[in-house]
Amino acid sequence: MSDTDSIETAASERTDGTAYDVPPDRSAVDCEYCGRPFAGESLLALHRGHAHPTQITESECEAFEDAYDAETGQLRRFRLKSLTALVLLYFGLLMVYALVI
Amino acid sequence: MGRSRAPNAVGQAVTVGTAVAVVAALARPVAAHGGTLGGAARETATVPTWLLVATGGGVVGASFLLASFATDREFVASIHAGRREIPVPARTVLVWIARAVGLTALAAVLVVGFTGPTDALSNTAVLVVWAGWWAGFSMTTYLVGNAWPVLNPWRTLAAAVPSVGRTYIWRGGAWASVAGLLALVWLEVVSPLADEPRTLATTVLAYSVVTLAGCVVYETDAWFRSVDPVARVFRYYGAVAPAGIDDDGSLALRVPGAGLTDDILGGVDEVAFVVALLWVTTFDGLVATPAWEAVATTVVGWGLPPEILYPAALVAGFGLFFGIYLLAAHAARETADTFVAAPTLARRFAPSLLAIAAGYHVAHFLGYFVRLIPALSLSVTAPFETVNPEVIVLPDWFGLIGIFGVLGGHVLAIAAAHAVAFDLFPGRIQAIRSQYPFIVAMVFYTMVSLWVVTRPDVQPPYI
Repeated sequence: MSDTDSIETAASERTDGTAYDVPPDRSAVDCEYCGRPFAGESLLALHRGHAHPTQITESECEAFEDAYDAETGQLRRFRLKSLTALVLLYFGLLMVYALVI
Repeated sequence: MGRSRAPNAVGQAVTVGTAVAVVAALARPVAAHGGTLGGAARETATVPTWLLVATGGGVVGASFLLASFATDREFVASIHAGRREIPVPARTVLVWIARAVGLTALAAVLVVGFTGPTDALSNTAVLVVWAGWWAGFSMTTYLVGNAWPVLNPWRTLAAAVPSVGRTYIWRGGAWASVAGLLALVWLEVVSPLADEPRTLATTVLAYSVVTLAGCVVYETDAWFRSVDPVARVFRYYGAVAPAGIDDDGSLALRVPGAGLTDDILGGVDEVAFVVALLWVTTFDGLVATPAWEAVATTVVGWGLPPEILYPAALVAGFGLFFGIYLLAAHAARETADTFVAAPTLARRFAPSLLAIAAGYHVAHFLGYFVRLIPALSLSVTAPFETVNPEVIVLPDWFGLIGIFGVLGGHVLAIAAAHAVAFDLFPGRIQAIRSQYPFIVAMVFYTMVSLWVVTRPDVQPPYI
């Protein structure tokens, strides 16, 4: 729990006012530059790339690019699902209106 | 004149508007022939409420899905970034004019309220407060910018009186304003404030005494920033507006809703105020529905005193709306797989709800305001005459503006929440997933609100 406490102290000192709270049953990976906790290595890699682009090492930069590419693949699948949901919603409502009115 | 009776026309208009949209989408002959909207309205009498409400929820969900296609960080951040400073000539003179207008209006409300005609549609106090201020001025705060700090007559008066300057320390934060807002709305619903000028003037006087006392004991700024619910309403609405004061004190134009992406709320207590603002607009319409009449009659039949009924429902409904929002903030930690604390999530995403509240405000009050413009101008030019003013009859299409208000509010809200999510989370998928619970909450609020405005209007029971 002492880890959690130190994270919360660090959070309260941050200027942007974002508080963090790691549940006791979860393990977090902390950013070595600012101490923010993340749920996994890929989120940490993305954070390092976005928040500390000038400080990170070459291997961290590669980790960021890998994580970014992996996420791009996920995003593509999400967009397909999203488009399907939009089409279903639109035509679903259209059908219902056609039946009801 | 029954201020809260306004939604009736809106209800019909929502039906008309949704139907027009649907009819257009289906390209049915009725729209293709440019048949009047009256024709479309007759067509829609058959749209059942459940379908209308579901369509509203669907529109919110679809807006979110569309927003989720924008995942380029620079692009998302650039949407709200534009600023253009507006040079204000003779700023001091304008401020003095605004202060004079505010003071004159307050004096007129008190004098004519106590001594003027007792007919509500002829009395300056009733018309200036309800049509001019609560409907008309409120609309300017989110459509243009918040001018209340200069117009506010109590601030002007308090500036002239020395202050004891006690430090306002109350650990409860904005909860005092939340209680104040709920109390004002309760008073507005149960008392004949819109029908009896004397009661209204007494209420304004009581509010003046409390406000000025607060300003004298504490500091004027502290009072209006921390306690006064009215100043807080306008300040929050002002965050939606395209004009606002930048950090350096200059007046600037920005993209509407850009203010909602800033971290403007201090804590969960201020989040509660935002949710209360959303809830009171809904409650205002809810008490005029037949369903409420049925529930109220049943509950009073069980032995609940009618005096407790309204405050209890007001607080319970607020609790429900607020509980759902907090639940969404907690759920977002799971869907986004983040360790950002729930109170921070609640705080950062709550400002987007202000755009939705503003949208509902347009739907509830625009028609009401326009209909009363002749009465308002007559009462200002001839304050002591009992007149029989015209009431503008609004064309059927007018309600469409209200629909666009509700939809526009949602678009602004979803865009703002999307930008905040991208600002808060390192992952793009993570940012989108963080929105799931909040979108569910928004869909719920929209469906409740649409259901309320499409109900026929009845006189609220027991008041």
